[in-house]
Amino acid sequence: MEREADIVESLIRNAGRRVEPPDDAYQAVFVAAHAAFREKTARRRERFWGLCAGAAAVLVIAVALVVQRTPPVATQSELARAERLVGGVETATGDLWRPLAATPVRLTAGIRIRTLADGRAAFTLAGGGSLRLTADTEVMFDAPGRLYVQRGTIYVDTQGRPASERIEVVTPAGTARDLGTQFELRLAGSALRLRVREGAVVIDRGGHSLTGQAGEEISIDDFGSVQRATIAPDDPAWQWAEAIAPMPDMDGQPASALIAWVARETGRRLRYESPLVEQRAASVILHGEVRHLAPIDALEAMLATTDLWVELDGDAMEVRARSQEPTSP
Amino acid sequence: MATASNSLMAELIHVDRALARRILGGDDEAFRELFDRFFPRLYRFAVAHLGGDRDAAQDVVQQTFCNAIERLDSYRGEAALYTWFCQICRNACADHFRRNGRGGARVVLLEDQPDARAILESLAAPESEQPEAGAWQAQVHRVVVATLDALPGRYGDVLEWKYIDGLSVREIAGRLSLGEKAAESLLTRARTSFREAISGMT
Repeated sequence: MEREADIVESLIRNAGRRVEPPDDAYQAVFVAAHAAFREKTARRRERFWGLCAGAAAVLVIAVALVVQRTPPVATQSELARAERLVGGVETATGDLWRPLAATPVRLTAGIRIRTLADGRAAFTLAGGGSLRLTADTEVMFDAPGRLYVQRGTIYVDTQGRPASERIEVVTPAGTARDLGTQFELRLAGSALRLRVREGAVVIDRGGHSLTGQAGEEISIDDFGSVQRATIAPDDPAWQWAEAIAPMPDMDGQPASALIAWVARETGRRLRYESPLVEQRAASVILHGEVRHLAPIDALEAMLATTDLWVELDGDAMEVRARSQEPTSP
Repeated sequence: MATASNSLMAELIHVDRALARRILGGDDEAFRELFDRFFPRLYRFAVAHLGGDRDAAQDVVQQTFCNAIERLDSYRGEAALYTWFCQICRNACADHFRRNGRGGARVVLLEDQPDARAILESLAAPESEQPEAGAWQAQVHRVVVATLDALPGRYGDVLEWKYIDGLSVREIAGRLSLGEKAAESLLTRARTSFREAISGMT
């Protein structure tokens, strides 16, 4: 027995430690395999409910056509809803890609979305917040609060989500978890770039964690080297995300709600000309809607029927009342 | 001994079937458990079968997982789940070679050769007696790694902890949240499985 142990020990020692696969391979294969797992289980659920529906139908007939019953219907919880689509945007659940229909479209687990070279898309997320895709981006909705990014650039805004329902963005190059925030994530090959506009984001990559704070840009190259830079919340680099922001329903809301939303979307500090103007903004109720406009344009359109107006001043947005506007000489 | 091995295999297959059922039921944790257990082993398996091509190995392992998940309903427990995955991986390697027009260039592994045992035994000989010691060493390294990867449960890890990391039985017991006697017994079973697996190649 001792000799046997010696032989085993000798062989294993001579062979040395088994080599671990690279982290990027782990991440890439995990993303694809997990997507296959989700698709498979979603299909099984549908088949199960289909069988239930069939069995229920047979039962109903057998019980003598007395009571009409509705067979169980397969339902999957909605994970996101497409709100704005610009240019080429396609969807797939298997290998067949087809154009995404007009909004709003309900999206469930296993559905993949890709934008073409001229495409952009914005989604509201179940549970609160929004997701935006720029051109040449592909993602898959996986579960509540979890999203896979295969390539491209996304923007996530988690405002309105409870702290217990954070967003997790899984990519072949690492996983980003929000800590209440607005951020952009770009995946190019196995290189990752994170830009945090508000709040903080944690990136897990190969067993290591990095935290990006508001105003930070973190770039991780193919070899895992990390570089940090700064980016202001009103930097022009955010404009693509602003331009496609899904506007919340403002009908019946006070003007101050729209003003606050626009200030946040454009990364500007909000200030009122006076407490009186602030009170005025809170008391003016908006009617109608102006979807599919950039935030500043939407604000101007909505305020056109009021005596309020806004002035952009560097990184600030000041709200004024026309009655207090200085008269031109 | 054969009875003990058969009983162990039956127990492992039972565990594997339960794991497959959980995955098919949509249990995310079960999927992650399987992935974390199998990915490093399949990756090394594919690298070996593809002549060291790591990029191709990544593609092949990805294909293996996708194919295996797709066909998981058909897993009946005739063999250990890892063995079943390895067969799918072999097929994916063959597909890779076919796609790349290298049907005749398949890598023939030492463990597939009839004289594998002889080569292993030759390892015990002093290096100077071996005409191609370096190449043989590399072959044997791969066979030992493949054997450790093919061992059931945590056997491969336990052997590596013991003989590479030099952990004591008490430390191994601590890592696995076991008593010392259970860890000692596990180590003995791991050694036996390793020896039987190597012997089984001839």
